[in-house]
Amino acid sequence: MFLHNLKYSLKTLFKNRMLIFWTYAFPLILGTFFYLAFSNIENSEKFDVIDIAIVNNEQFNDNMVLKESFNVLGDEESDEQLFNIKYVDLEEAIKLLENDEVSGYLVVDESPKVVVKTSGTSETILKYVTEEIIQNENVLANIIEEKLNTNIIDGNINEYIENIRDDALKMLDMNSLEIRDITSKKLSYTMIEFYTLIAMTALYGGIIGMTAINQNLANMSDNGKRIAVSPTNKIKIIFSSLVSSFIIQVIGLFILFMYTIFVLKVDYGNNLLLIILLALFGSLAGLSLGMAVGTILKTNENVKIGIIISFTMLGSFLSGMMGITMKYIIDTNIPLVNKLNPVNMITDGLYSLYYYNTYNRVYFNVVSLLIFSLIMIVLSGLALRRQKYDSI
Amino acid sequence: MTVFKTFLQVLNKYKATVIMYTVMLVAFCGLNFQTSESNINFTASKPDVLIINEGEEIGITKAFIDYLDERTNVKDIKNDEESINDALFYRDVNYIVYIKPNFRDSILDNSSNPSEQFEKYISSVDRTIIEIKTTGDYQASIADMLVKKYLNLVDIYSRTYEDEDEIIKHINETLSLEVDTELTSKVDTNTLSRVTFYYNFLSYSVLAGCVYVICLILSSFKNKEINKRTIISSMDYKKFNMKLLLSNCLFAGILWLVYVALEFVLVGSVPNGYLIIYLTNSFIFTICSVTIAFLISNLINNKNAINGIVNVVALGSSFLCGAFVPMEWLPDFALTIAHILPSYWYIKTNELLKGVEVFNSVSLEPIIINMLILIVFIIVFVILTNIVTKLKLKK
Repeated sequence: MFLHNLKYSLKTLFKNRMLIFWTYAFPLILGTFFYLAFSNIENSEKFDVIDIAIVNNEQFNDNMVLKESFNVLGDEESDEQLFNIKYVDLEEAIKLLENDEVSGYLVVDESPKVVVKTSGTSETILKYVTEEIIQNENVLANIIEEKLNTNIIDGNINEYIENIRDDALKMLDMNSLEIRDITSKKLSYTMIEFYTLIAMTALYGGIIGMTAINQNLANMSDNGKRIAVSPTNKIKIIFSSLVSSFIIQVIGLFILFMYTIFVLKVDYGNNLLLIILLALFGSLAGLSLGMAVGTILKTNENVKIGIIISFTMLGSFLSGMMGITMKYIIDTNIPLVNKLNPVNMITDGLYSLYYYNTYNRVYFNVVSLLIFSLIMIVLSGLALRRQKYDSI
Repeated sequence: MTVFKTFLQVLNKYKATVIMYTVMLVAFCGLNFQTSESNINFTASKPDVLIINEGEEIGITKAFIDYLDERTNVKDIKNDEESINDALFYRDVNYIVYIKPNFRDSILDNSSNPSEQFEKYISSVDRTIIEIKTTGDYQASIADMLVKKYLNLVDIYSRTYEDEDEIIKHINETLSLEVDTELTSKVDTNTLSRVTFYYNFLSYSVLAGCVYVICLILSSFKNKEINKRTIISSMDYKKFNMKLLLSNCLFAGILWLVYVALEFVLVGSVPNGYLIIYLTNSFIFTICSVTIAFLISNLINNKNAINGIVNVVALGSSFLCGAFVPMEWLPDFALTIAHILPSYWYIKTNELLKGVEVFNSVSLEPIIINMLILIVFIIVFVILTNIVTKLKLKK
C-alpha cells in the first residue's frame, strides 16, 4: 500500500503544473535574474583607476613636486596607477568635467586647486592625493629645518641641504612601520541573494507537502473522501504522500544547486556534507510547514497556498532576499526574529559555511531547523488524529 | 455603470495585492533614503570605519584615533569577532583598523634609535603595528589612504623628533594643509538621485500592480458563464469593451496619482522642469503597463497562471532594466537584452534626467526620444492585442 500510494502521489504531484512552476522553474528564473542584476555590482564597486584632468599651464610645469608625483600616479605601466590623467588646457578641462568624462581636474594658479562636479568618492580621493603631495613638501621642509637646527654645518650649505633633502626623500620611501591586511578572501555579499533563493525554494516545498496532504483529507478533496472510507491504514497513506513530496522537493533543490553552482558560479564553501545536511533539513522544515498549514487550517487550497507563499516571502525579505542589508539590520537589532525565521536559518547556515571557518553557527541553524520541523509535525499530528465525519 | 460597479467589486477583492506592492515601494525607498544630506559645498566622502584599539588610548594612539574620527564615520559595533566580521561582510563598515598593543611603543622606539643602525634594527623585530580588514571598494580605499598617510607621517616624524608631543604637533600641522576644492554643479544632486531611485522602483510597483490586477479582473469577466451572460445582454459589446477599458485606465490613473503623491511625502519636491518630465514619463509608462496587462490577459485565461506570469514579467524587467540595481552597475549583456523592454526606456529617461543641469534642446532630445519609444511600445501592444483577439474570434 505504501509503495502504491507513493508511486501515484509522485505522479499526480509531478503533473501539477502550477506546483512545478513555483518550486522548480520560478527559483531558476529568479536565480537567473539575480545573476543578471548582481554579477557586476561587486566589480563596479572594486577600486579602479580614476579619470582626471590636469590643466597643463606654466604654473603646473614649474611645480616639480606636483608634476613628478602625478606623473608617477598616472603611469599606466605601474601597478600603483591611481589616475588616468589627461593633460589639457583649462577650457578643455571644464568641458571634460561638464561631460562627465573626468571626475575632476587640478589647476595650479597661486596654489593648487581641485575642481569637481559633485561630492563623491573619486572626487575625495583626488582631493586627498593632491593634499598628500602638498603635505609631503611640508614634511621635507620640516625635516630640513630640524636637521639644520640640530647639526653643526661644515662645508657648503647648499650641498648640505641637498644631502638632507635626499636623506629625507629616502625616509619618505622607507616604511619602518607595517600594516598587515588580514581580510578574509570571501567577502562576496551578493552570495546571500542566492542563499535566500535556496532557502525560499526549500520552504516553497511546503506547497508540495500541503497539496499532497490535501489529497488525503476528506474535507479537502474527493480523493480524500474516498481514502477516508477505505479500509487502509491512514498513517501509511499520509506518510507515503509526505515521502513523495519530500522526494520532489529534494530533486528540485538538487536541480537548483546544480544550476547555481555550475551555471551561475555560486560559491557555497567547501563542506559538502554540511551543505547537503542543511538542504535536507531545510526541505524538511518546508515540508512540515506545508503539513501544518494543510492540516490545521480549514480553508480552501488557494488560501493555504497564499499563506505559505506570503510566509516564505516575508521570511525571505527578512533574511535579505530583497536587499541583504535587511538581514543585517534584523540580525543586529531584533535577532530573535531571525532566530525564529526558518528562511533565515537556511540562509544564515549557508552564509556561515561560506564566510566562517568554524561550524558552531551552522550547527545552531541545523538544530533550529530540526526544532522548527518537529514543532510543525507535532502540531499537524494533533490536528490530524481522530478526524471523523458523520457528514461532509 | 453596471460594468464599472462590477469592476470595482472585483477590484475590491484584490486590494491586498495592490497594497502589498505599494508597501514594498515605501519600504524600499525608506531603506534607501536613510542618509540624507544635501549640500552645495564640497564634502569629502567619509568611509565607515571600525577601530579596535588593543592598547591604551593615550599620546600618539589617541591622536591617531582622533584623526580617523574627524575624517571617517567611526562605527560602534559590539566587540566580538563574529559581530565585527558580520559588519564587514554586510558592508556596515568598509574598513577595520586593529591598533596593536605595540603601536605606541614601536613609534616611540623610532625616536630612540640612531638612524645608522635603523635598517638593521627594523628587520630584526616585528614592526606590524596595525592590522586591517577591508572590503576593497572605493570607500575602503579612502580609509586605506588615510591610514597609510598617517603612518607615513608618524614614521618620518618619529625619526626626526624625539618628544611625543612634538611629533603629534608636527603631524597635525602638516595635516592642516588642505587643497581648495571647488564644486561646479549647483544642482541638488542628492534629492534628484533619490527622486530617480523612487521613480525607478515605481516601475516595478506600477507594472506588477497593473498587470496583476487588470489580468485578474479581466479574467473574471471572461469567465465562461459571465461572458455568455454579457453577450446576450442588451449592451453593445463595443460599449462594454470601452467601459471596461476606461475602468482599467481609471484604476491605473488613480494608482499613478497615489504613487506620485507618495513621492512628495517620501522624498519631497524637485524643481518644476524636472517634475513635469518625471510625471509625464511615469504617466506614459503607466499607460504602457495597462496595454501590457491587456495583451497578457488576452493571451492567458488561466487565473492560476497569471500570478506566475506577473512575477516573471515584472521582476524580470525590473531586474534587467535597473529598477532595483542601478543601471550603471548592470553587466553590459543584461542591458543589451533590456533594450527590448519598455522599462528600460522609462528608467533611462529618469537616469538621464538626474544629470541634466539646464533644459535645452541638447539635453531634452534623448529624453523625448525615449518617451516616443515608449509610445511606440504602447501602439505595438495595442496592435498585438487586437491581432490576438481577432485570431481567437476566428477560432
